[in-house]
Amino acid sequence: MNVNITYPPIKRGSFLRRRLLRILRWPFILAAIACVVINVCIGGVVWSPIAIVGLFAVWKMVLSPDLVDYNRTSQFIKTVVYILILLAMIELLIVPGWAAFVIPIVGFTGVAIGGVLFFTDMETQKHNMLPLVLFLVFAIIGSTIGLTLWHEKNFWPFIVLDSVSVLLLLALIIVLGGDFLRELKRRFHIK
Amino acid sequence: MDKIRIFYADFLDSLTDGERATLRAFFTDFDQYFDTSSSERRRFREDFEMAIIALHSRGVPVEEITERLALSNLGGYYARPSVLWFPLDNSAKIYPISMDHGTQNLFRISVYFKEDILPEVMQIALTFTVKRFPAFATSLKKGVFWHYLDSVKCRFSLTEEHDVPCQPIKVSISGSSSFRLLYYKNRVSAEFFHVLTDGTGGTVFIKALAAEYLRLMGVKVSSTEGHDLWNINDTPTRDEFENAFERIERTKGSSGFIDRPATQMNGKLSVRRPCRILHLKMPTDALLSAARSYGATVTVYLLTLMFLAASAATDELSGELSIQVPVNMRKFYETRTVRNFAMYCGIRMAISDIGDKEDMVRAITSQLEQKASKESMQEMISASVKLVSALRCIPLAIKQPVARRVCGFLGEKIFSTTLSNLGVVTLPEELSEHIESMDFCLGAPEHNRLACAAISFGGVTTFSITKNTPDPTFEEKMLSLLSEDGIETRVEGSEFYER
Repeated sequence: MNVNITYPPIKRGSFLRRRLLRILRWPFILAAIACVVINVCIGGVVWSPIAIVGLFAVWKMVLSPDLVDYNRTSQFIKTVVYILILLAMIELLIVPGWAAFVIPIVGFTGVAIGGVLFFTDMETQKHNMLPLVLFLVFAIIGSTIGLTLWHEKNFWPFIVLDSVSVLLLLALIIVLGGDFLRELKRRFHIK
Repeated sequence: MDKIRIFYADFLDSLTDGERATLRAFFTDFDQYFDTSSSERRRFREDFEMAIIALHSRGVPVEEITERLALSNLGGYYARPSVLWFPLDNSAKIYPISMDHGTQNLFRISVYFKEDILPEVMQIALTFTVKRFPAFATSLKKGVFWHYLDSVKCRFSLTEEHDVPCQPIKVSISGSSSFRLLYYKNRVSAEFFHVLTDGTGGTVFIKALAAEYLRLMGVKVSSTEGHDLWNINDTPTRDEFENAFERIERTKGSSGFIDRPATQMNGKLSVRRPCRILHLKMPTDALLSAARSYGATVTVYLLTLMFLAASAATDELSGELSIQVPVNMRKFYETRTVRNFAMYCGIRMAISDIGDKEDMVRAITSQLEQKASKESMQEMISASVKLVSALRCIPLAIKQPVARRVCGFLGEKIFSTTLSNLGVVTLPEELSEHIESMDFCLGAPEHNRLACAAISFGGVTTFSITKNTPDPTFEEKMLSLLSEDGIETRVEGSEFYER
């Protein structure tokens, strides 16, 4: 068959993520299974769920990132959420007694950095605000619950997390004005 | 100063005082047309400067250049902030949910001009044309329940083709568009992610773009009547971007999308997809008379040949081959929408029944009449509307993983391949005489070995094959079958990418 080539030669060796994912999927699954098996065989503290969540986080954040809405706000918030989940798991499964102090500190640091990332590129990031807004809402709910549960102790990180989150949420509403509502309307549409 | 500024400054030096004054006047109000960042505005300005130089080098007087490139063609589009957003139409909702790394439902329509393209002028044609298609000037976003298209007013760029055709479009980054425009020699190609539009909508866009490019090149058109050629300076209307599925009355019965898995062709799946694009170009008259000689339409005739070629490309001796045929709903419901408005049906044939062309034509015609009828399509749309309605309040985070798996298992495996025939595309004679041909091809499927598409323009029908396998049986059989029926076919295409 004689084919008249009408397409340009392509760049060789271009990166094929699909192929890479197909190859790496099995080492990841094997590593997860190995964690469980080793943990069960050796005994002791239950660390394998933490390792599995860690592997999942690496898979989702590095190897198979979001196909839609991959932006600095969403990626940063996701990273903070994974860190918080891992911290909570370490508290529950390995060393208890410190997370109620550390998690809100990580939380308000995340809120503050999230705010900086948002306001330093507001024109673009206003279309990506949903993860930040949801994070703020959950931070407010979480810190309010934390304050209610541990109000007799000196848990200042909850107070800081609560105030920083409320302030940032108010700042978003005031600065974005109508855009804030428009963005929420789009994000929550069911049409 | 960067290279373009120096280049343009040198160009200005070569002009007369009068010409320089004309260009100064042209750029006086330039900034007021762009409510964009200063860097974006500079890039727009550079586009115009490069187009001026390109047209001048072809001997067009400066006065005429400024008339052709008049900023009024921007219509204030880029001067206003973006406020529009579009929920995805019923048929588009599945595409972002089911896409994965390296897999995306897209298609490509190309126009071959008789002369090599001037990219600087084509860039301006794109800038002028895109404003007429606000639903295309969008970025895909993820809502809590559904994806949607968010309007972006930025510079959409024309790029030179240097990669495998129909590669997934990167839609993840803020402001990234869901279509790309490429050029290579005399060809301009628009590749669309299916969330934006279907083949008909894509054709309307590429026709408007080609017409605008030729206008900028100095071609004048007396009348566009009867060619569905959109004037890029008309104001977009709501009905042009409506979700036309919503207007269709629901029927009581509703047919599902589930069917038996079809027999696949046996060629080894390639790593790079597609691994080759082939265009079988043939005279439309010859194709039409061959089809008529069997008492078939062109689509039925091509389906018949495809079944024969597909059965040659599989070692299976039993089972059913199935070809997916998109059905343009515009032939049943009048609408001006350029969003998706197509459904599909599956034409099935047992491998044991494949042999005699006349018998096959009769069987395919009867299946097509029944399965692509208005009633069947209406039932399918009813099923899709009910499904969308039932799922509307379930968060995307829950439905996406489920839908992705369901699509993986059922979606493509019930078909062996696809034939999408866009039919005859026309343009006013003044434009047609500058265009050699058009082609239309589908993106690489996930499991099927190939996908086919056809389009006719200017007396040439182009049957395109998007291949996912190095096995050459299908196209060789198609060629020999066409040749048996006296259709002279020339083959164009890409090299084999996996070598």
